Amino acid sequence: MQRGGVRIGDSFAEAFDMRASRAVITARSRSWALTAAQAMTGFATSVIGCKVEAGIEAELAPEGTPDGRPGVSVLMFGFDAEGLGKRLLERVGQTILTCPTTACFDGLPQGGERVAVGGLLRHFGDRYQSSKRLDGRRYWRIPVMEGEFLVEESFGVQKAIGGGNFLILAEDQDAALGAAEAAAGVMRGIGGVVLPFPGGIVRSGSKVGARNYKKMTASTNDAYCPTLRGRTGVTTALPEGVNSVLEIVVDGLDRGAIEKALRLGIEAACRPGVVEITAGNYGGKLGKHLFHLHALLSE
Amino acid sequence: MLRITGGKVHDPANGIDGVVRDVCIADGRIVARAEGGRTIDASGMVVLPGGVDIHTHVAGAALNFARGMTPENFRRAVPFLRTPERRAGLGGITPTTFATGYLYAGMGWTTVNEAAVPILSARHTHEELRDIPIVDKTTCVLMANNEIVLDLLEAGELERAKHVVAWLIWAAKAYGVKAVNPGGIVAWKWGRNANTLSAPVEGYSKVTPATIISSLAGIIDELRLPHPLHIHGNNLGVPGNVSTTIETMKVLEGRRAHLAHLQFHAYGGDDWGSMRSEAAALAEQFNARKDLTADAGAVLFGDALTITADGPWQHLLYQLTGRKWGNVDVENETGCGIVPYVYKGSSLVNAVQWAAGLELLLLVEDPWRIFLTTDHPNGGCFWRYPELIRLLMSADHRRECLKQLPAKALKRIVLPELDRQYTRSEIAIITSAGPARALGLPQKGHLGVGADADVALYDEGRDGGLEFAYPRYVIKGGEIVVEEGEIRAVSEGREFIVRPSFDEQIEEYLRPLFQKVYTMSFDNYPVEMERLARPDVQACG
Amino acid sequence: MITLTLREQPPVPLEAEALSPDVMAALAHDAIRALPVYLGKRQQRVDDLFEVAGEASDELEIRGDAAKVKWIGRGMTRGRISIVGNAGMHLGAYMKGGTIEVSGNVSDWLGAEMSGGFIRVRGNAGGQVGAAYRGSLSGMQDGTILIGGSAGLEVGMRMKRGTIVVGGLARDFAGLQMKGGTIVLRGGAELRTGAWMVRGTIVSLTPIRLLPTFSYASTYNPTFLRLYARHLGTLGFAIPHEDREGAYRRYTGDSAVPGKGEILVWKPAGA
Repeated sequence: MQRGGVRIGDSFAEAFDMRASRAVITARSRSWALTAAQAMTGFATSVIGCKVEAGIEAELAPEGTPDGRPGVSVLMFGFDAEGLGKRLLERVGQTILTCPTTACFDGLPQGGERVAVGGLLRHFGDRYQSSKRLDGRRYWRIPVMEGEFLVEESFGVQKAIGGGNFLILAEDQDAALGAAEAAAGVMRGIGGVVLPFPGGIVRSGSKVGARNYKKMTASTNDAYCPTLRGRTGVTTALPEGVNSVLEIVVDGLDRGAIEKALRLGIEAACRPGVVEITAGNYGGKLGKHLFHLHALLSE
Repeated sequence: MLRITGGKVHDPANGIDGVVRDVCIADGRIVARAEGGRTIDASGMVVLPGGVDIHTHVAGAALNFARGMTPENFRRAVPFLRTPERRAGLGGITPTTFATGYLYAGMGWTTVNEAAVPILSARHTHEELRDIPIVDKTTCVLMANNEIVLDLLEAGELERAKHVVAWLIWAAKAYGVKAVNPGGIVAWKWGRNANTLSAPVEGYSKVTPATIISSLAGIIDELRLPHPLHIHGNNLGVPGNVSTTIETMKVLEGRRAHLAHLQFHAYGGDDWGSMRSEAAALAEQFNARKDLTADAGAVLFGDALTITADGPWQHLLYQLTGRKWGNVDVENETGCGIVPYVYKGSSLVNAVQWAAGLELLLLVEDPWRIFLTTDHPNGGCFWRYPELIRLLMSADHRRECLKQLPAKALKRIVLPELDRQYTRSEIAIITSAGPARALGLPQKGHLGVGADADVALYDEGRDGGLEFAYPRYVIKGGEIVVEEGEIRAVSEGREFIVRPSFDEQIEEYLRPLFQKVYTMSFDNYPVEMERLARPDVQACG
Repeated sequence: MITLTLREQPPVPLEAEALSPDVMAALAHDAIRALPVYLGKRQQRVDDLFEVAGEASDELEIRGDAAKVKWIGRGMTRGRISIVGNAGMHLGAYMKGGTIEVSGNVSDWLGAEMSGGFIRVRGNAGGQVGAAYRGSLSGMQDGTILIGGSAGLEVGMRMKRGTIVVGGLARDFAGLQMKGGTIVLRGGAELRTGAWMVRGTIVSLTPIRLLPTFSYASTYNPTFLRLYARHLGTLGFAIPHEDREGAYRRYTGDSAVPGKGEILVWKPAGA
């Protein structure tokens, strides 16, 4: 299969069951909402090293937020609700509570499970806090030096999918980056997904475990490292002509959102200088959710 | 004329333990034979003497204040709509007067002792008792914080004190004498209490709670009142108070006395966190002191209302609950505190209290000395007595209820180890024969010839105490008042009173003293006989 | 829809708990007509006083001057009551769900001790809106009451949760012993607003007299009020909340209790 002169490998991305929550952050201005969201989603690339994966999902117009102010929605992904609850507590507490003019609301009110966020953060108020209940939802008002921090008591958690991906095998670093930036750009705008890595792009795709160090959980994916072509002990997976590979990783609330993101991303990445698009997987042995590239693009 | 035939009679006072025999009634009394009149076929039923409640709070100024404090309870209460036979009323935690009579009779109870009457408002109590239909009544008048009496005790004038006490009993038209927190309510007028039996009471140098108790008990024995001193001891409700109770029993050595709501005085531990039941230790001491009787004052989970003359205790309870509190001072005589309360199975303290009441009833060996009460409405409502009966008669049911208690509570009580099950005859003793004897009412509590014809019939087929929830028939003074759950006739009960002898000259002593310290005029103080419904003077001695 | 038209104003109060969707929803026409109502102390039938049309519906329409008809909608859990005219005391008392709309005025105890549902009165209300009955620990536990006109004494007395909005003047003791919830006073109040308040919020859009036991805290536009502004805005009640329009002076009290309540008094920009 080809797309815009680029070969589409007959491979599949292997993604995993996760849980997700959504935080709606509002502030006095668009820029303060973004500042808060960027702080909250920083250092959240992989559950392995960062305990959570997070990113900005969308900017929200004032008419679309609970308090009628400019806002940003953030998605966070983790293995289970309990873990997500802890991460939400940490991140809302350290980056939203602390940021001027913000308020923080639950973006998944229909979520099957719930975790306490405001319900725990309220203790920062040292018993001077108060709560309000409106329309079946409860909010905490925490007195702070700047005024009041308004945060919803509990956040919904739902089943989600993490680790959707594709690999851009390009002629050189420039071509790989241009294609990856184009892909990340269109994927970012799709609702229900986030790209947890810096700029949405991974330069250091990994494999499970390591060949030469006993205790590592992950190491460089040598089969896709261009400089290791021909090295004793390395079986390359790279076709001829590929000198740089970048990976796009996407987490999403459901299969449909990830399929859409992958499809649009791959199409955007099929540009001159890109040799092949393929995907990362573990032989289908670890993840429940498989995204076959050919099937994606045939729709 | 009435004959009850074919029923299984339990008349423990006359040694009849579940024997099928006839009970004949004429002119309001049990007779050997009766011709004509109605016959009740009581086959399949058990026949017991009507219940006698030796300690309850159903009438008077304090209770009425409590009614006024809790309108929300009346909104939830069972209404009694007016019928040609029956006046209107409201049940609930503090039933209105007419409803009180219907509820007691509807349960098979026919005599009640209103256990705490201030002399100053005795008139009010008698008027409310008058409005309680069907049941016969006695009253106990509050004496242990009466400052005229205490002043005499301080001065060592025991003889004069005796005449004053006798005069006061007759002025109040009472039946017995009640002591509540002796010395403690006097102290409460100063914002204090009397926690130590041997320490002088606030404002006195010689009078201690112990001297009040022993002096009053002695006076009552000398006056030969049919019912001994009726005592609500010091330190009610407080963890560790079992030592006060045992000390009180020692002070009463050699005298008759009735210890009220003993459960509230049976606690070990040092504070609310370590509180436990010491009912077992208390029962052991109590078993040995044969001159004493007691009523259980058991607690039932659910809504209740605490109302006692024990001002300082009620204030403490208010501080614990943080909700409503009523406090009334009765000049020179006593006081009153009212705090609505809920006993919760999930509360460690309430669980211990619930168990302690049952432990007392199960561990006191002689059923003739321990009687079934809840200190209504303090521990639970009187119309829930059948629930207590069930707990006493069915160990299985007790075990089921124990499962609901918090695990921590099980280490503070011995109830799980107790297998005893009350028999029907034993129930007849603790609900009727025993209290009647302790009250000194020979015509009550039994079905022998000459007794008042107060009889309750229950289904034999139900058991484990369930039969006591629904009397088939209740007869009072020979009249069928309840038949198959319906009030059939409403009679006016009698009020038993005593006239102990006193020297008429004592009025010369009292009159000027009274004028000096009371806001009421001396001539208005004694209750006129006309205020009482069907007064019936019982002999002293 | 079941329509009940009151033929004439009863000479003495009429107690009509039967006028409720919960009671009528499953009943046939004849059964509805036979439902008991109490005219003073005498039991009557609904059709002794009302013309009845319709059956088996959880939508009721009551027409006529029912100012002396008490307990309409008592304890209802669902459905809708529309009153075209006035209604008497205890309208929607103990309500748990559903909607009541009144075109005219209502009397005292509107929505007393309700725990859910929605009540809107276009005209005036009496006293004790959403309040606790005497002796009860709490008043309304949740729900929404909107009053277009004025209200009487003790609005929201001992309320625990829920929202009350009064369009016109509220009389003395609005928010007495409040334990939570929100009262919005759009048309001012008389004396002792928030007396003995423990928790909760009273928002006044005009200056009101405050007890000396309330202390000034700060001036701001709290974010949470924006949620109420949106919610009440959809219901036709505007609440100012933007910095450019003005801000709220926050008073904390009632220190006599001591309470953790607040009274927010709107101060327009430039005033």
